[in-house]
Amino acid sequence: MKSPLASSILFHVGPVPVAASVVATWVIMTILVLGGMLVVRGLSLVPSKTQAAFELIVATVDAQIRDTMQAEPGPYRAFIGTLFVFVFVSNWSSLVPGVEPPTARIETDAALALLVFLAVIWYGIRAGGLRGYLKTFATPNPIMIPLNFIESITRAFSLMVRLFGNVMSGVFVVGIVLSLAGLLVPIPLMALDLLTGAVQAYIFAILAMVFIASAVSETKPPPAVSS
Amino acid sequence: MTIDWWTLGFQTANVAILIWLLGRFFWRPVAGMIEQRRAEAQRLLAEAEAKRGEAAAALAGVDSAREGFAKEREAILEAARQSAETARTARLAETAKEVAALEAAAKARIEKERDAAEAAWRERATQLAVSIAERLAARLDGPAVRGAFLDWLLDAIRRLPESEREAMAQDGAALEVISAKPLDPAGQEDCRARIGDAFGSHPGLTFKVDTALIAGMELRGAHLVVHNSWRADLTQILAEMTHDDRA
Repeated sequence: MKSPLASSILFHVGPVPVAASVVATWVIMTILVLGGMLVVRGLSLVPSKTQAAFELIVATVDAQIRDTMQAEPGPYRAFIGTLFVFVFVSNWSSLVPGVEPPTARIETDAALALLVFLAVIWYGIRAGGLRGYLKTFATPNPIMIPLNFIESITRAFSLMVRLFGNVMSGVFVVGIVLSLAGLLVPIPLMALDLLTGAVQAYIFAILAMVFIASAVSETKPPPAVSS
Repeated sequence: MTIDWWTLGFQTANVAILIWLLGRFFWRPVAGMIEQRRAEAQRLLAEAEAKRGEAAAALAGVDSAREGFAKEREAILEAARQSAETARTARLAETAKEVAALEAAAKARIEKERDAAEAAWRERATQLAVSIAERLAARLDGPAVRGAFLDWLLDAIRRLPESEREAMAQDGAALEVISAKPLDPAGQEDCRARIGDAFGSHPGLTFKVDTALIAGMELRGAHLVVHNSWRADLTQILAEMTHDDRA
């Protein structure tokens, strides 16, 4: 019996298998990019309702970055915003019949966690240089270097597992209930799954911000104290 | 549970590409538009603030100008009031002067007219008196009066300077004796005798009548006239009275 956790391969491109989650991701990417381009094409100083809604999303992301990271949102907006939007849309793609959310697959969540892991390193080096970033592992003292190193990996791993567990469990529950009870019974669970998906997207983005902010703030010199 | 590394690689690349694409085509343009609107709003606010400042300055200018207008109006009104007061005073003084001049002129004219009227009335009264005297004197012309006038004529001849009397009465000189009424021959002879005695010679006398004399007898020579009549007396009186009035 095939494991429900295993990726379902749709086709192969030569020796490379293409999973359903990858295709779903491509579709989501296409929709997001085309939608974004469509929105941007009609931008004006006097916004329409649609433009105002999208500007509200951008302004909310900026506000969250400012509140969480205590920094200007410019360098982080695209990364954090895209993570949130992608996770959100992926989680909610379960509404489309026959579509399994890409985030219900461990590879997608691992990819997202890997990107956050790399982003922490990138933004840390960008803020304080390679030496400054490496020094952060020796805080508060060099004894903590192994622990800090393990922490940086495990928190990325926890990101992956948290998202995967929540989304995958929701999909599993809905699938099991659907197979046992019937067509309309899983609807409350699906609604709950939507709520869980939105919350998980928010948590994923917030944790990514926290990790990046932690790396950035630790590499910066402490503010001068004047008496 | 196994991980499909190809799928992991695909998804990593997919999300990385998605991050780049959305950053390029969505997040940056939308954030740029928000920033542009914020800058535009800030610019408009700054402009509005500047306009408000300009408006406040203009309002202050208008208030100042209005205050200036009020002061200027007060000054103009005060100047006009003073000018009107000065003009009124001057006009009153001028009018008073004109009234005084007119009053003086009127008084002078009235005085003159009164004097003229008085003189005219006096002249008329004098003429009336002379006329009355003429009528009265005409009733007195009788022998006694003629004798009296002859006596006054002889006295007048005798009071003449000697040289004039001799020049007037040299022999052969023609003298006229003018009387108001004709003398009878006896009267003429009497007159001739007595006048000759008065001159001390015998001038040639001719007798004429002039009723204008009223009463009396005059003697007229080539160079001298001896007046001796009511007419001469009244004329002299009238001339003296008229002269006195005019003096």
